[in-house]
Amino acid sequence: MNGLILTSLGLPLLGFILIFLSSTNEKKIAAISFWCSHAMGFSIIALLVLWALGGYQNHEYQWLTLYETDDYSFPLLFYLDRVGAAFLFCTWAIFSIIVKYCRVYLHREAGYKRFFLTIFSFVFGLNLVILSGSIDILFAGWEIVGIASFLLIAFYRHRVQPIRNALRAYTIYRFCDIGLLLGSWMSHMMFHESQHFSQLADLFNNPSMPPAGYGSLLLVSTLILIAASGKSAQFPFCFWLPRAMEGPTPSSAIFYGALSVHLGVFLLLRTTPIWSYHYLTRASVFTIGLLTVIVANISEKTQSNIKGKIAYSSITQVGFMFMELALGLESLVLIHFLGNAFLRCYQLLVSPSIVVHLLRVEGSADADFYIQNNAKFQFLPASLRNTLPEVLQNTLYVFSLQEGNLELLVRSILWTPLKGIGAFINKTNPWLKLLFSVTSLAIIASIIIVSGATLKYLALPVSVFMVLASLSAFSQKHSPFSVWNAIGLSSTLAGVAIWFINPSALFDVIIFASGIIPAWALGIIVLAKLLKNNNFTQDPFTYRAFSETQPKLSLLLFLSFLGLVGFPISPAFLGEDLLLSHASSHDPWFALPITIAFVINGIAAARVFQRLCLGRPLEVNIPEIDILT
Amino acid sequence: MVYRDCAQQTIETSNQKLQNHDFNLDTALANIAHWLPAQGPIKDFIHHNTLHAVQHHPFHEGIAIAAKIFGARSYLPLTDYQNMFHQGRITQSAIDWAIEHSGGTPFEQDNFRNTLFEDDNTGHYPPTSLANHGIRTTWLTQLEIDLNAMVHPILFRLLGNFLDQGISRWNLSKTGEHFWKCIVRLAQNSLLPLYPFNDAAVHDLLSKKPEDVILYCLDKIVGDEQLYEQYLLEMLLAHPGWSGIVHVIEQKPNMLLARREISLKEMIAVECAIELAFLHKKKGEYFKSIAATPHKKGISLLKSTHLKPTIPLHLRIWHEAMEWSLHSELLLALKTLPSANKKRLTTPKAQALFCIDDRECSLRRHLEEINPAIETFGAAGFFGIDFFYQGLDDAYPVAQCPNIITPKHLIKESNSASHSGDKTKPKKLTHMHFTAHSMFRGWLYTQTLGIGYAVKMAWDVFRPGSKLPNIRALSEVEHHSHLHLLRESDELTPDGYLLGFSYTEMADRLSGLFRNIGLTNNFAPLIVIVAHGSSSVNNPHFAAYDCGACSGKPGAPNARAFAWMANHKAVRAILREQGIDIPHETRFIAALHNTSRDEITYFDPHLLEQNPVPNLPAFEESMSTALQRNAKERSRWFELAPKSESIETTHAHVKERATSIFEPRPEYNHSNNLYAIVGRRQLTRDLFMDRRAFLHSYDPTTDELGDIMARILSAVIPVCGGINLEYLFSRIDNSVYGAGTKLPHNVIGLLGVANGVEGDLRTGLPAQMIEVHQPARLLIVIEQSCDIIDKTIAKIGALKEWLDNEWIRVVTCHPDSHELFLYSAKGWEAIKLPKDSKAPVATSSLDIIAGQTQTIPVHQFIRSHA
Repeated sequence: MNGLILTSLGLPLLGFILIFLSSTNEKKIAAISFWCSHAMGFSIIALLVLWALGGYQNHEYQWLTLYETDDYSFPLLFYLDRVGAAFLFCTWAIFSIIVKYCRVYLHREAGYKRFFLTIFSFVFGLNLVILSGSIDILFAGWEIVGIASFLLIAFYRHRVQPIRNALRAYTIYRFCDIGLLLGSWMSHMMFHESQHFSQLADLFNNPSMPPAGYGSLLLVSTLILIAASGKSAQFPFCFWLPRAMEGPTPSSAIFYGALSVHLGVFLLLRTTPIWSYHYLTRASVFTIGLLTVIVANISEKTQSNIKGKIAYSSITQVGFMFMELALGLESLVLIHFLGNAFLRCYQLLVSPSIVVHLLRVEGSADADFYIQNNAKFQFLPASLRNTLPEVLQNTLYVFSLQEGNLELLVRSILWTPLKGIGAFINKTNPWLKLLFSVTSLAIIASIIIVSGATLKYLALPVSVFMVLASLSAFSQKHSPFSVWNAIGLSSTLAGVAIWFINPSALFDVIIFASGIIPAWALGIIVLAKLLKNNNFTQDPFTYRAFSETQPKLSLLLFLSFLGLVGFPISPAFLGEDLLLSHASSHDPWFALPITIAFVINGIAAARVFQRLCLGRPLEVNIPEIDILT
Repeated sequence: MVYRDCAQQTIETSNQKLQNHDFNLDTALANIAHWLPAQGPIKDFIHHNTLHAVQHHPFHEGIAIAAKIFGARSYLPLTDYQNMFHQGRITQSAIDWAIEHSGGTPFEQDNFRNTLFEDDNTGHYPPTSLANHGIRTTWLTQLEIDLNAMVHPILFRLLGNFLDQGISRWNLSKTGEHFWKCIVRLAQNSLLPLYPFNDAAVHDLLSKKPEDVILYCLDKIVGDEQLYEQYLLEMLLAHPGWSGIVHVIEQKPNMLLARREISLKEMIAVECAIELAFLHKKKGEYFKSIAATPHKKGISLLKSTHLKPTIPLHLRIWHEAMEWSLHSELLLALKTLPSANKKRLTTPKAQALFCIDDRECSLRRHLEEINPAIETFGAAGFFGIDFFYQGLDDAYPVAQCPNIITPKHLIKESNSASHSGDKTKPKKLTHMHFTAHSMFRGWLYTQTLGIGYAVKMAWDVFRPGSKLPNIRALSEVEHHSHLHLLRESDELTPDGYLLGFSYTEMADRLSGLFRNIGLTNNFAPLIVIVAHGSSSVNNPHFAAYDCGACSGKPGAPNARAFAWMANHKAVRAILREQGIDIPHETRFIAALHNTSRDEITYFDPHLLEQNPVPNLPAFEESMSTALQRNAKERSRWFELAPKSESIETTHAHVKERATSIFEPRPEYNHSNNLYAIVGRRQLTRDLFMDRRAFLHSYDPTTDELGDIMARILSAVIPVCGGINLEYLFSRIDNSVYGAGTKLPHNVIGLLGVANGVEGDLRTGLPAQMIEVHQPARLLIVIEQSCDIIDKTIAKIGALKEWLDNEWIRVVTCHPDSHELFLYSAKGWEAIKLPKDSKAPVATSSLDIIAGQTQTIPVHQFIRSHA
């Protein structure tokens, strides 16, 4: 059974590697994806059968321990229970259908290889999330799913809109990673060695002695809820889901119709003991669900395009799932999840049929907002049905049309202020900045020396600078080098700060740096090569499409980007976790700035990658006469 | 030449106007509207010349001007042409022909000849253009605002919801309400602000009239009257799909099923207001206008685009050489046609009338090859009967004739069987998923039926083709229902139609068609009228797969109407008076050829049972073999089709294709179109033309005044020419003139498709339809003498533009001598083909297609009877 868990994870990864190594020959890729998806299917089914024969026992498996110190360990831990089984089954069913579907659907499409690479990495990430035995492993899978989403939304990289929407979805993902990252840190802090999902329930079994205080439980629940809402497009993040429908239809179906959108539900199911412990957190899960149902249901009414309509109907159902979860109806949620996943997936796949269907079968061109005597509105009270005053009607319409204005809300609360600060920093003279930082450091250092406090308070200004450096990267639009340097600076400062806090953590800081610094250096070299004959500041807003003109360098830039954002292939991923765990054991306040910096760095780096590597190669034929005039 | 000078002059005068006069909004709008795509709602896809805006220019100049406006490619990449040369598909003699016809001096000609094979990887790139390098780029480059990215999603949402034909549950528009009024209502009369109209200055604007709003905004945004028109044009070209459909709806409001009141002016007013609002939000009230911002070098200006466009001469020569190579393949085969093949069948056992469509070209060939006693004819697929058709379940009548005709008659389907006709029939379980969007219903369905969809999805994906699609397309008819054709009273219906035809009207239409195709005697005992349609699933472009002569609908109602009329005694009596004597024993049968599945349905089976037709079983048998061979011939284009020799396997594969939800290429439609031949079947019967020809029957001996030919050409030029040019431009630049790849398409408001949720509507054809097309202009070959065609051309009016400006080429083939003449505005030119070359010969179609995956030159058949 343990072997089967590993093969279920390993086969998609194998598929990914084989496709990566194979040529762009369509037949070869199709054969690899056929065999790998089927082998993975067998392995999943065998796993589920074995598990069922074993009497549906929760099963945990610790493969090996990646890293261990006296107060920290990072085991590769896997876990299978009822929830995981349901999700795994769904993944198998939908993935094998989609692979077969895409074999023909994507025939002769430019990017055939890229597509299969991405969906295999997606399924790998997904299986990792589903089979993860601890929140750290789950986070690794979560990141892989996020990057795969980003790449698939931007699959049609020749058009600006998919690229833009890819970044939009990625920023939301990244923001909600704050939740998971801090959540994982807090679970380290609260449950120490026992961040195993298998032991979560036991921890809470004794009602008289909760594993942590209400305050911190409330906090960690809120963080988990943020992460879940972001991934599942719940309130207030509903708006990104319809806009993510930019890739080929089956990829939208598998990601946003069926699997990815339910990951938030999965996360909540996994962490039920934590957040269901207190009725206040239960109530907040219920409220998020309820608000989502209201906003999404009203927004769905005025979707004039079919994919947006399906997206909002799906969000509505996920909202219901949140509510059902809050009420403790876990089995119902699982059935609901399976039903919704299959239905929405199918709806998206056949969405192009809607023209024929509505024109012929329904024959109804005029919809019913203004038509009386409609059966659907019979449940409304008569006063509302017939005399809904015009103002209310318009208001409702505007609300629906603007999808509850959630995007503006999120943007004005989250991004605009950050961008403002960043822009201010970028405008300031660099000497002034240096002067300011040196003097403030000096002042604080002298205060520390005078007062005789420990050196660790120096971490305070350092972490402020770290966040400021990230913000500067975030709002820098004119120079990719500055962005990369600012990210590098911010990460270095993070290491320095930790070192101040806990000088014994030097080795861990080095692990972290061993991921970040090569990635940063690689990025700088690649950027220099890419932009050698290119005046970036002259046209900072063109998409430069280097992934087509310079595919190898672009791949390196992508790797550098992954390294900087602490993707699970880089030691920086482990490093991030280590830094956080140090923060937790000594100074909890430090977790917040470091997480914010990580998140913002990720977005800034993604934006540089998007500007440089995506887009359409410039194709203009400038006749000599035009140049002269 | 006279014509060219004339065109040049009008441009100059319009330029002067632009410089000398004050800005006039209406004139400017009229000028701008001219550049917008003319594609209507997707439910009736009508092929047309994508570049109709420059049709009054000669072809190469026209596409060069269009390139400077739209920023599109004009030709294939040079290497594509050079590869075709190396593969032998472009001949040296055609290159010589193209260079001779390029109009250069002998020195220049030599120069071309010497430099044709030089490498040039960028020559086919689009020039700097208004759409990509105009004054609106100032926003991004100088002021660092991505205005399009902010304005478009909001504008598209408002337009989409206003024009929506039934996807959203709540309608935005009220009956008869104009777009502007509607926006004003939402912005002024709602408790929540309509973003971004909540900007104070813009909110005040809303009480004004749209034209005043436009002028006010232009003054603020642009600031220089000289640039207004260009700014507006650029603004609309940033989203050609929506601008185009708004313009189309403004011109022809009844193209929509649910009427919407909208005009280009209102749309521009809304867009300008949104732009102003965003500029206020980002840059404050007093931002710099376009005119006040220093221009960057190399910005395209509207006044300069009309000056002499730069045509990439090498590509032009290569393109013409490619076209001439392909055209000469047919001309060579025609010229050297053995005279023994020119006799018409004396005693045909059966006759079949097909649509002119190029997809029927091969089916006719196979049918005649299998059974030489069958004679086939071709005519535009509405068979001369133009009407609106409303089936039993249809909410609205749809036109069953080419786009250029506006029918006056309405035909309804009636049912003799027990069909109450009410619309509240129980919904089928298989359609449930279309309605599972609302909150409670969705909850119920997902909880109960949802898992069932896993099974359905798996079934559809792993076992496609096991059943026919259960959603029927428009104009698809049950084969046993009944059309109500005979008019009982002259009263108009409430919509102003005549309900049905009188006997005289029927006879007029039939005799018109019979004379067009030259079938006035020698009627066979069985005449099958074969309409065509195409079944595909999961395909929003379904209308582009159906009959182009029926405005993108299957031609079944027309075929049935034709057969009913031609079988009627009263109609035959009138026809007899007009000199068309249909023998008593002759029976007309209607049928529908499904071009994607290669199946045929014969209509009115109950009548056939009551009164059997003796020759029908033999015909049916030949037809079913012909269909199988046709499927085999088509499948050579499908890369994923089984490569086995068995004809049944291939036919099964072709059927499966048409019902697979994951198949973006149910068929390749008109991909092969290249020729249109108007003449007797004897001319083409023994030619293998690789499904490349639109075939219209015509008897040159009965048309001394050229009137019949004028009638035929007035349908052939816009329908076939439109199909040809739409394929050509969609192929040459699929991202600008075409709809891009089909895979991410999202259906918007039942009006069209867009990329993603907030994209612009895509016009033109998707990549999956045109990928194997060779983009060459249409060659119309007319079997008639030049003198008579001169008379004809004088009668076709505005369509002459197509010929004079070479948007299509016309060649006459003399009925007796087969001498060939090429038309040009300067006169007829005798065509000289290389003397030593001969058209390839073969004995059967299946021999020719074996193992071939590219286009095949025209072959002559050596027949046993020859």
